[in-house]
Amino acid sequence: MRITVDEARCEGYGFCAEAAPHLLELDDEGDLKVLSEEVAPGDAANAEAAVRVCPVAALRLEP
Amino acid sequence: MTSTSEIPSLDLDLFSDDVLTDPFPVYERIRNAGPVVYLPRYRSYAMGRYADVRAGLADWESFSSAQGIGLNDLANAATQGMIIATDPPEHDRLRDVLASRLSPKAIRQLKDDIERRADELVAPLVRQGDFDAVDDLARAFPISIVLDLIGLPQNGRDKVLGWADAAFSASGPPGPRTDAAFPLLEDQLAYLSSIEPDQLTPGSMGRAIYDAAAAGRIRQESCVPLMSAYVTAGLDTTINAISNAVWYFAHNPEQWDLVRLDPTLIPSAFNEVLRIESPVQFFCRVATRDVDVDGLTLAAGSRVMMLYASANRDERKWADPARFDVRRNPVDHLAFGYGMHGCAGQGLARLEGHSILAALARRVERFEVGAPVRRINQLIRGLDALPTTVRPVAETA
Repeated sequence: MRITVDEARCEGYGFCAEAAPHLLELDDEGDLKVLSEEVAPGDAANAEAAVRVCPVAALRLEP
Repeated sequence: MTSTSEIPSLDLDLFSDDVLTDPFPVYERIRNAGPVVYLPRYRSYAMGRYADVRAGLADWESFSSAQGIGLNDLANAATQGMIIATDPPEHDRLRDVLASRLSPKAIRQLKDDIERRADELVAPLVRQGDFDAVDDLARAFPISIVLDLIGLPQNGRDKVLGWADAAFSASGPPGPRTDAAFPLLEDQLAYLSSIEPDQLTPGSMGRAIYDAAAAGRIRQESCVPLMSAYVTAGLDTTINAISNAVWYFAHNPEQWDLVRLDPTLIPSAFNEVLRIESPVQFFCRVATRDVDVDGLTLAAGSRVMMLYASANRDERKWADPARFDVRRNPVDHLAFGYGMHGCAGQGLARLEGHSILAALARRVERFEVGAPVRRINQLIRGLDALPTTVRPVAETA
């Protein structure tokens, strides 16, 4: 499973980084960084939560 | 293949005084009737369940905004070119102008100033003891912040809130309320058209719109509609959320104690206020093709009300949805909409709301409120007055 960010849509709310700190973080500039596009099975639930809480639907999970 | 004839039809009036005062029983009927229902009075459909509203908002290719988000042709025509009534690629050009000033990153440097302003507003009100939580608190705060950020000249500021109220209400169904609101929407647009770019504070959000046009990033004729987006949408969510917060905390003192003792609950509490009393009740979309809605087929061309306020009380999504629970952390509520058209100012709204709740949590032990006066608006739910008395926290030595 892979998690990807549509950078044109992402506005940096950071709720995803709270939901999946292993996978995503806001850097010091306030820009979202994907720490790992590959989602390990153990992180799948957090990845789904991260996608769900994005207010602008900028995150996508692909099988 | 299911046909549109199977979509249940409900002869409901969503805009009577009684329903606008308490819409939740009608929303429950809509949710229970089906994933999408037909409302013959408005020759429109409505979705009231969380999963369907959210999925519809995410699917802008099937559910277009470009024919307007209201329930009457006049308002849908008058709002052509406003960001709320656009699809990509036009939407994305306009959104970039707003997001460059409103994204969490862009507003980081406002945090200290807004927190200070919240303290300066709340401290004397708490000393005073009695105040109107709408006029003195909920309106005073965003008006002072947002109009400065937009950079509006002083002249005309006193009318901005009334115009914003009308600009929303003008998108209701044809009828006397819409007729009364529409001229005020026109007044707002005339006022904004009369402002010269150099009357807007240099560096302000408003000035940035005209700078974007000068730089060729948006068309010149997009400036007034974007200004309208700021002065219409920049106030109501925050005003209603702050006054609703006071009402809910007055009626649920144990929930206020939780927040006072653990201010890290403030973001969750603010989301919960927005969930349980969503300021924007609905915006419409138009189906661009035949769309499957949880097994029913909505025909291309159908106008459908996306009932945010109903979705946020959907028992299929939320346990005990009418219960106010600051620990619920309903971060995926739909009060700001969702997806591409999700509120561009939600970061600022959250910053304002969190700052006010934090300032109150430091000073107020109990709220007591009298009978609220409800503001009747066809799209927005909120209060017009809320007499409030506060008991301050005991001074610590």
